[in-house]
Amino acid sequence: MSDPVLSARALRKAFPSGDARLEVLRGVDLDVAAGESISIRGESGSGKSTLLNLLAGLDSPDSGSVAWGGSGDTGARRRAAYLGMVFQSFYLVPELDALANVLLARRILGGMDRSARARARELLGSVGLAGRSHHLPAHLSGGERQRVALARALMNSPSLILADEPTGNLDEGTGNGVVDLLLGLCSSANAALVLVTHNAAHAAKTRRRMLLTSGVLGDC
Amino acid sequence: MPWYLHLALRQLFPTGRWFPFFTLISTLGVALGVALLVIVMSVMGGFVFEIRHLITDTEGEVQIVARGGIADYRAVVGKVESVPGVAAATPYARDAVMIKFGDKPAFPMLRGLDLGSVERVTQLSHYVVIGSLDDLDDDSIILSMQLATSIGARVGDTIEVYSPLIINKLSADEVFLPRQVRVVGILEIGHQQLDSSTVYGTLRLAQDLYGLGSTVHGIDVRLKDGVNEDDAAARINAVLPQDIRALSWEDSFSDFLWVVNLERGMIFFLLLFIVIVAAFSVTSSLLISVVRKTREIGLLGALGGRPIHVAACFCAQGLFIGILGTAAGLALGFTALAFRNSVVLWITKVTQREEVLRRFYQFSELPSHTSGSTVALIIVLTIVISTLAGLLPAWKAARLKPVEALRSE
Repeated sequence: MSDPVLSARALRKAFPSGDARLEVLRGVDLDVAAGESISIRGESGSGKSTLLNLLAGLDSPDSGSVAWGGSGDTGARRRAAYLGMVFQSFYLVPELDALANVLLARRILGGMDRSARARARELLGSVGLAGRSHHLPAHLSGGERQRVALARALMNSPSLILADEPTGNLDEGTGNGVVDLLLGLCSSANAALVLVTHNAAHAAKTRRRMLLTSGVLGDC
Repeated sequence: MPWYLHLALRQLFPTGRWFPFFTLISTLGVALGVALLVIVMSVMGGFVFEIRHLITDTEGEVQIVARGGIADYRAVVGKVESVPGVAAATPYARDAVMIKFGDKPAFPMLRGLDLGSVERVTQLSHYVVIGSLDDLDDDSIILSMQLATSIGARVGDTIEVYSPLIINKLSADEVFLPRQVRVVGILEIGHQQLDSSTVYGTLRLAQDLYGLGSTVHGIDVRLKDGVNEDDAAARINAVLPQDIRALSWEDSFSDFLWVVNLERGMIFFLLLFIVIVAAFSVTSSLLISVVRKTREIGLLGALGGRPIHVAACFCAQGLFIGILGTAAGLALGFTALAFRNSVVLWITKVTQREEVLRRFYQFSELPSHTSGSTVALIIVLTIVISTLAGLLPAWKAARLKPVEALRSE
């Protein structure tokens, strides 16, 4: 059996809170198979984003381990190739137009060429923004910005997409559209998806649904 | 192009905006510093260049002098002209005199020229604006322009010349009569000091006035094209007696050149502070940019950007501002230099001070000579300083942890 795309073992993370330490994650285990979609729900402050940051290699656990495709290398260079990330606040670079924002992921990975541009255009087309590739983020609506962010996350054909409340800043209708698009794109690219969300309806669209409560992750 | 350079360019020149305010102001600050450096250093270089020309045009590239004068100057001239690299040599006598025209006296330096050889060494004839050097004989002189104007003498007038020997003769109770000489020419070199206080006569006239006999005060030497002055002076010294020394024009005027170079160095150093202040402004703007773009910096980390490359992105903005500012400053500086004389003329006309400028200023035109090495130094220092200006913001950006940067409000 092949290694899971993402594997987390006994993740623990605590933050200082006054004189004490607030334990946010108390031994989280998670395996994500290739092409699998998982949703993680939890109350505000339950540690969903902290968990996602640990899974993305952006933060270090106090104890436990994270592996991508069986490898413990979660450094920046590997992250560029292996991982795509989608955030609640889109985080598009305001000086770059939609196409350049999508291409930024490839620029950072390296290997910019004509085919990269073609892929970026194709991705923008697949998120319904073919005609807006030269628009700056300031000239796009919230839903359009998030769709650009989706295209950017998929630019390097990652094995894993981590999405941190991607619909948090969108109205319900737009949010539904974005989640459907995200699931569809991940499915067609055979990329695994970890979706952190508050929204039960969005979570219900994923294959596996999990709940983070009191620092422990379990199926729901 | 690496992503951090691409992003640095895009942050300076965002899509759809030609020259954002931050880029414009930062570039202008650097450009003004560079322009001032180029203008001032070129004008100062122009002074040295013009003075070199004046010295070599009127006295040759090498000067031979001896304490108490050179008695057998013909033999010395013969020896000097046999030295490789020497084109010609001409003897001269030079000392102060008093001249009087009507009731107007003046106290210029009289330079006695050997008419047979002076034109092979100097370019004096080119500076004669009225009359001719050919008209000069033992009973005539050529006046410099401002001196002639100040005493009101013109070509054809006769003036009286008193030499320092008058003091000796008066103390011996001898009768002393001034020498009566005709003015046969007016000469204008373009240097205020020379044009206001120099008289040219024949070598014999000067020797008579100073009681030198056949002795001369010195010998001017013209070198062949491309011959190094210091090397030539060393070769000439090798054939001369110990009491007669040959000096290149730079050695002859070494004190003057040292002072000029000291002034140039000081002014360069002071003006460089304009670039440094501009660089501080770049630092300040980029620091604000780091704070404003904290979440973008976090994003770059999340996308796989390494801290060193995030730092390079901000350092590169300093570099690009430095390159742009230097280019704009050079263009501005050289444009200002091209119109310098028109500007000075316009100012003097508006203020009605043309004559004042001419009287007190060293040259009739504002000189300019831009040395390649000075420009190269300005370019390198400006770009280095501007790049260093990006270091602090770069360091701050590189220290941001993506997870904290993404969380920032």
